[in-house]
Amino acid sequence: MPAITVDNLTKSYGQTLALEDLSFQVQEGEVFGFLGPNGAGKSTTINVILDFIRPTAGRVEVLGLDAQANSREIRSRTGVLPEGVETYDRLTARQHLEFAIDSKGSDDDPEALLERVGLVDAIDKKAGGFSKGMSQRLMLAMALVGQPDLLILDEPSTGLDPNGAREMREIVREENERGATVFFSSHIMEQVEAVCDRVGILRDGEMVAVDTVEGLRDSVGGGTTLRVTVDRLDDDTLQVVRSLPDVSDATVEGRNPPVLVVQVQGSKTAVLGELEDRGIEVKDFTTREASLEDVFQSYTTGTEVHAR
Amino acid sequence: MSTETAAGSSGSGSGSASSSVNLESVRAVAKKDFQDAVRSWLFWGLSVFFFLLLVGVTGGLSYFGAEVSPTQAETTGALVSLVSQMTRVVIPLIALVLGWKAIAGERESGSIKVLLSLPHSRKDVLLGKLLGRAAVLSLSLIVGFVLAAVVVAAILGSFDVVEYAGLLAMAILYGLAYTSIAVSLSSMTKSTTIAGAAVFGVFLLFYAVWNLLLTGLQILMSRGTIDGVEYTRTFEMADGTTEQITAQRVPDWALFIDSLDPGNAFANALSIISSTVEGTTYPDYYFPDGMPFFLEDWFSFIILLLWIVVPLAVALWRFDRVDL
Repeated sequence: MPAITVDNLTKSYGQTLALEDLSFQVQEGEVFGFLGPNGAGKSTTINVILDFIRPTAGRVEVLGLDAQANSREIRSRTGVLPEGVETYDRLTARQHLEFAIDSKGSDDDPEALLERVGLVDAIDKKAGGFSKGMSQRLMLAMALVGQPDLLILDEPSTGLDPNGAREMREIVREENERGATVFFSSHIMEQVEAVCDRVGILRDGEMVAVDTVEGLRDSVGGGTTLRVTVDRLDDDTLQVVRSLPDVSDATVEGRNPPVLVVQVQGSKTAVLGELEDRGIEVKDFTTREASLEDVFQSYTTGTEVHAR
Repeated sequence: MSTETAAGSSGSGSGSASSSVNLESVRAVAKKDFQDAVRSWLFWGLSVFFFLLLVGVTGGLSYFGAEVSPTQAETTGALVSLVSQMTRVVIPLIALVLGWKAIAGERESGSIKVLLSLPHSRKDVLLGKLLGRAAVLSLSLIVGFVLAAVVVAAILGSFDVVEYAGLLAMAILYGLAYTSIAVSLSSMTKSTTIAGAAVFGVFLLFYAVWNLLLTGLQILMSRGTIDGVEYTRTFEMADGTTEQITAQRVPDWALFIDSLDPGNAFANALSIISSTVEGTTYPDYYFPDGMPFFLEDWFSFIILLLWIVVPLAVALWRFDRVDL
């Protein structure tokens, strides 16, 4: 059974379409990265999943239940880290957790939860004095209350330093190992790459790709960029390099010394061999694989992928 | 607008926009909201305010009382009468200020998503908020009144518990009505600016506009736009003869509209408990066949209850149907 099924979901505000016929599924037990630039509709989708807003058309099922009709039951089995969190300034970290524990009817220990997110030192401090990162940790601790079957994390790395972001991913992994499905939105590919089983890329309210991280990489075919610094270069050589079977593109950067930039799908030795055969001296060369960030860029801006 | 209504009905055909109420959830939300308020200066500030109000008025009574009105000075009745006139204005102000941000503030800041990410329904949140805010006002009234009781009894020498407790109970009921109005209005909008304007509008409505309504209806009656009710008044002249005068008054429904003002209802209901409090009174000759039940003082309790229930019912219905 899928943990989340979004079926032809459309949401419009007056003339503005926030989501158009969006459909995707999140499988039980997976970590799903929900990726897209700001304004693509990620929060709108999450808001429908949690019944904060109502769809214009289409339907959403969470944990096998209708997102609107059974929202309370869904939320009792779901831990949520909302986007752009606002804590209650006058309540302490402990009181925040007690509220969540009280609301979910669980018997968690506030101290243990805060220990997990690295905030136990501030347990009796009022949240009004917390930094953005501390608020984020507090909200994550609240989301973990009651061992939820589903975790929905909306831009969880906001306000966290690299170390905090790493700890966040660590917790995502632990929760996933416990058996929880994790639905994780972000506008930064790097953050989902390390932890997600599958990634869905949202653009202008439409899902443009859903695949595993490797699958996405392959599908765009970004391949490898080879940068070769040579002593000289002529048009003839450039033509020959371009006509090599594994090369999709070749350009020249710089004049003195010239740098040959080649997009290669397979082996780069063919390119280097061809240069050597023509007596061109290779002074230096670097290779770079297309990163997922490039893949993300290509999907969200519609440009062709080139590893830089 | 059309999309919003469409969203409510077409999402899933089962009329799921209506959420359920869970008392445990309501309690959890109310507790959190109350904790939040108690931590601010508000709760203790209000308690001190009510304490000082009662002690101050009592002190004033015992100091000036004998000169002002020797017959009723230095009694609980005089205290209740004076304090009720002040609370009639002060309690709406406090309740409206306590309540106007209750929901709109959380929607504006987005923290309502923290509340609603937990398994609470929207109705739970609205009811919990109302209870939490009402508890702040009610408990501060109780703390202020109970602490002041000792001082009041010492100054006055005598102390009428029934009148004093009656004033406290009515103040709580009156405060609940205005808290319900404020929290309900607060749930109607995402903008604290609009919510603030709305509660300010309510205050103006009952402190400026409502008093003019009766005058306005009287003018309409004298112009013949609405039909008045004829009544006959009998005067007894100095020489023992009687003279009858026939005149017109506004119809019963106009008097009823006047009595709908929560402030009037508060005074009218309190006048049952305390003889020194003056509610709205009509001369007997207005009603030769007896006064209609809805103008009697006891009906003011119903009016206050309606002011709690009706705004809340509308808000509960609507809040389930909006996008947050």
